Amino acid sequence: MSRTEIFAGRGHRLAVGAVLLGAIFPVACVSAPPPPPPPEQMSRTAAKTAPADLQLLCANAAAKASGLKADKILPVSSNLIDSKTFQVDLDAGGKKTSCLVDADGNIKSVQPL
Amino acid sequence: MGKQMKRSSTMRQTAYLAADRGWLKQAAIRRHAGTAAIAALLLAAPLALATAAPPGAATQVFDPITHKWVDYDRKKALKYYAAHKEVPEAFRMQMVKFRTAEVPGTIIIDGNQHFLYLVQPNQMAMRYGIGVGREGFGWAGIVRVGRISEWPTWTPPAEMVARDPKAAPFASGMPGGPDNPLGARALYLYEGDHDTIYRIHGTPEPWTIGLDVSSGCIRMNNKDIIDLASRVNVGAKVIVLMQGAALYKGV
Repeated sequence: MSRTEIFAGRGHRLAVGAVLLGAIFPVACVSAPPPPPPPEQMSRTAAKTAPADLQLLCANAAAKASGLKADKILPVSSNLIDSKTFQVDLDAGGKKTSCLVDADGNIKSVQPL
Repeated sequence: MGKQMKRSSTMRQTAYLAADRGWLKQAAIRRHAGTAAIAALLLAAPLALATAAPPGAATQVFDPITHKWVDYDRKKALKYYAAHKEVPEAFRMQMVKFRTAEVPGTIIIDGNQHFLYLVQPNQMAMRYGIGVGREGFGWAGIVRVGRISEWPTWTPPAEMVARDPKAAPFASGMPGGPDNPLGARALYLYEGDHDTIYRIHGTPEPWTIGLDVSSGCIRMNNKDIIDLASRVNVGAKVIVLMQGAALYKGV
């Protein structure tokens, strides 16, 4: 048997094996559970609000920007606008302000609405 | 629940990782990009289902045995508590990272996610599970702890007496004790020198932690409220966050 024929035979067997594995593999993927979240993240609600600390970082940033006391600025709503950024709407003594903050706590912007 | 659930979870993870690392998968991915793409799609589908909370589900908890998010309503909460004698792990007292400019000793309530944070030094907080006001009874605002009481007397407000027949017999006050709705401790929330009528308090119904159940008060397990009360001073600032809720006057 020539070297080419040996490689062709091996290639054939590998191809057949790969096809069979390809058929089995998706089943394994579907049945495999995702890794569990860490204990502190084992609950959630339908409302995808920003974590409380990020909301308050926004309130603090708005207080600095407006000159108002932080005690008069309260986050009133928030939502996830992309995978790493939250928009937080604030009530600053009756005036509405919008803040963008990323998941690492970096304030991106503070603007009046 | 702990050990059995953890063991089962670890075994499932181990099996998953073993399959994930196996040469079978590597061979399939290397030689059959098309098959790998299909596999990726099939893998992504259940993940996407698992990460999107359905609308209308107020609270969901992660089941470490089935590895699925499950709706957590009053009935399921009661069943869970009866089986495990404690609330799901997420609602148990735990120290967490908390980036804030608020001073240690400040209380921050996230009504939407059912957590109460007590700010600690070094950008950390003690987190407790809470039950909050049901629809129409939530509120948001900045108040303070006006006073703290042990095994407080519960006196339902006049509107609750009118609304709830179970409250009527206690219109003149129910003495403190294990059946008292305020539980082991109550932190009375004030705005300035004015009692807001809202409290952070214990409960004889610990399974309600994680749910929207109250008339506006913040309820905690008796064990947790005892711990919180021991760490908090009268005068401590309390920030209540609740999306879509009415702002408490003065804010």
